[in-house]
Amino acid sequence: MIRPAVVALLAAPLCFSQNLEQRGFLDSSTYFYPRAASNDDGKVVSQLLLRYEVSYKPSAHWRFSGGVDFRTDSHRQVDRAFKFNWWDRSMAQPAAAVRRMSVAYTSGRLNLELGKQFIRWGKADILNPTDRFAPREYMNVVDTDFLAVTAARLTYGTQSNSIDLVFTPRLTPSRMPLLDQRWVVLPGNFPVDDLGARFPGGGQYGARWDHVGQRAEFSLSFFDGYNHLPLIDAALRPLPFPAAEVQRFYPRIRTYGGDLTIPLRWVSVKSEAAYFTSSNPKADEYLLYVVQLERQAGEWFFVGGYSGEVVTTRRTIQDFAPDRGLSKAFLGRAGYTINANRNIAFESAVRQNGHGSWARLEYSQAFGQHWRGTVGLNWIRGEPGDFLGQYYRNSFLSLKLRYSF
Amino acid sequence: MTLPRLICLAGRNQTRAPLAVRCRLPLFFFLVCAAFTQDARQIVQESQKRGQVKSQKYDGLLQVQESERTVSEKRWQYQRIGSYGASKSILRFTIPPEVKGVALLIVNHSDRASDQWMWTPAIGRERRIALQDRSTRFFGTDFSFEDLEERDLDQFDFKLLGEDDVAGAKCWRIEYKPRQSRASQYSSSMTWIRQDNYVSVQVDAYVKNQVARRLKYFNLEQIEGIWTARSVEVTDLRRKSRTLLKLEKVEYNVPLKEENFTVPALRQSQ
Repeated sequence: MIRPAVVALLAAPLCFSQNLEQRGFLDSSTYFYPRAASNDDGKVVSQLLLRYEVSYKPSAHWRFSGGVDFRTDSHRQVDRAFKFNWWDRSMAQPAAAVRRMSVAYTSGRLNLELGKQFIRWGKADILNPTDRFAPREYMNVVDTDFLAVTAARLTYGTQSNSIDLVFTPRLTPSRMPLLDQRWVVLPGNFPVDDLGARFPGGGQYGARWDHVGQRAEFSLSFFDGYNHLPLIDAALRPLPFPAAEVQRFYPRIRTYGGDLTIPLRWVSVKSEAAYFTSSNPKADEYLLYVVQLERQAGEWFFVGGYSGEVVTTRRTIQDFAPDRGLSKAFLGRAGYTINANRNIAFESAVRQNGHGSWARLEYSQAFGQHWRGTVGLNWIRGEPGDFLGQYYRNSFLSLKLRYSF
Repeated sequence: MTLPRLICLAGRNQTRAPLAVRCRLPLFFFLVCAAFTQDARQIVQESQKRGQVKSQKYDGLLQVQESERTVSEKRWQYQRIGSYGASKSILRFTIPPEVKGVALLIVNHSDRASDQWMWTPAIGRERRIALQDRSTRFFGTDFSFEDLEERDLDQFDFKLLGEDDVAGAKCWRIEYKPRQSRASQYSSSMTWIRQDNYVSVQVDAYVKNQVARRLKYFNLEQIEGIWTARSVEVTDLRRKSRTLLKLEKVEYNVPLKEENFTVPALRQSQ
């Protein structure tokens, strides 16, 4: 009587493990800055990140996904208080955060996912104007990572057509650099008081239709919500001693976008555009677009393109907008696979007026099944008035070592 | 009618075992005689017919070797539904950890080149592999993206060039060239098909009259009546590197759903 039960009990972890997938890594990054910034004389910044992701599929219909991040650093960009963060609204990076936590139900062509998840829209590589549910970590403006959003996502898709409907109850903002650190460039030595952020209430909605055709792929999208990149209210406070008070806020926006991929005989053409409108009197209305050509040849990979911006209504005085900061620029990326374990990549953005440029050269090598080391050289040049150029003191060398499991 | 590249080079044993045992010599004699009356296209067609299945599944171990030492080891899970020109397949990396979850969807068409999309979990995006990019190596292995697709027989011209012994087995040597309309990195290919079981054991793919890639099929085994190569070795003769693919847990005619072989399903399965 007991034997079958024991066998079943012993078999349970095996059955569970067959539907359980897990992965993660421990990543150590060190950034060396040869020059001090006006508000930050730290020249070495080290970070340690432990990421663990798991997904469990108990049946063909259900899938549970989860992920956590644990991090610390040498530069106080990471909060020292150890408590789990869900909404990613803190100014500093949390020491512990739920990276992802969702449940998905699939039935035939229908998929419903609820919870904290990653939603990526668009087809371009370097700049994605239609990617409205993809806030980022901008602690280092040229070395970013995506943040998940808490959402309900319904997808109905065939091979040729799919429709994506998304609702998020709250905004997940992009995390901008800290005011007392080098990726925020302040004018002069005027003291600044950070008053934090005013987060909006209310949800966000989006819909996207994606078509995969024989000769082209394209999609149309609509978004009604908030910009995850902030505008900044700045005011002068004369007493008790003069200081500038700054506060971030996130304007309501509506975007109409589309993207397109056409594989031609020699290259693939990719384009993506979105028109941003806003009812907020401090937010610009503008069109952001990118056109790029892509080609792989032998061990080489090339992407080159142009990102442009057309402002139809100008209202904004201060903002933090890396997407617009990378517009009116020529963008390029090239990669070469040396062998199965080693590759080298070059990436660059140059503003068309020549006032700002950024280039990155990266060499990466895998050691065995688990280790990878990456050396990167980031070179930033330009004028203080330009989005890229203002970081001319922030050229850096990075060393990264990752153990994946 | 299609020409399989590497994934499903198998042939169904249509000979009943007792008959084969009893009449081995006469049967072999019959096959050899038949060869001279067959043209190259018919041989390839027969080879494909014997390998037709509703679906296929296996776990693959890939060992990339340079200068006779293994520099990289990867594993993928492969699923395929449908036969030849109408088939769809997904392969998903499971090892090493840094590429775990990377997946490739291949939708083959009977009248044109396949469509391919690669899903990369790190960026949460799929990317269409354009036709002109198919000569690129697939994820650090010696397979190119083109080597992973299946070809339509009608898009090639075949020529029977003779007979050779390959690994002790008598084979037909058949050359096939893509017709004008077919975009391929290879100007022509040569395949050796065994005369006893119609299984292809070697393919030499040419670029401008030089062998660029050589695929060899080893460890032939009958699985559910299908002759299956349990090891495939691809050699990139220009780079002087090779990749060995070992097929494990091979299953045929398993229940797979058509809707799992689409771009939306590729995104959702992660």
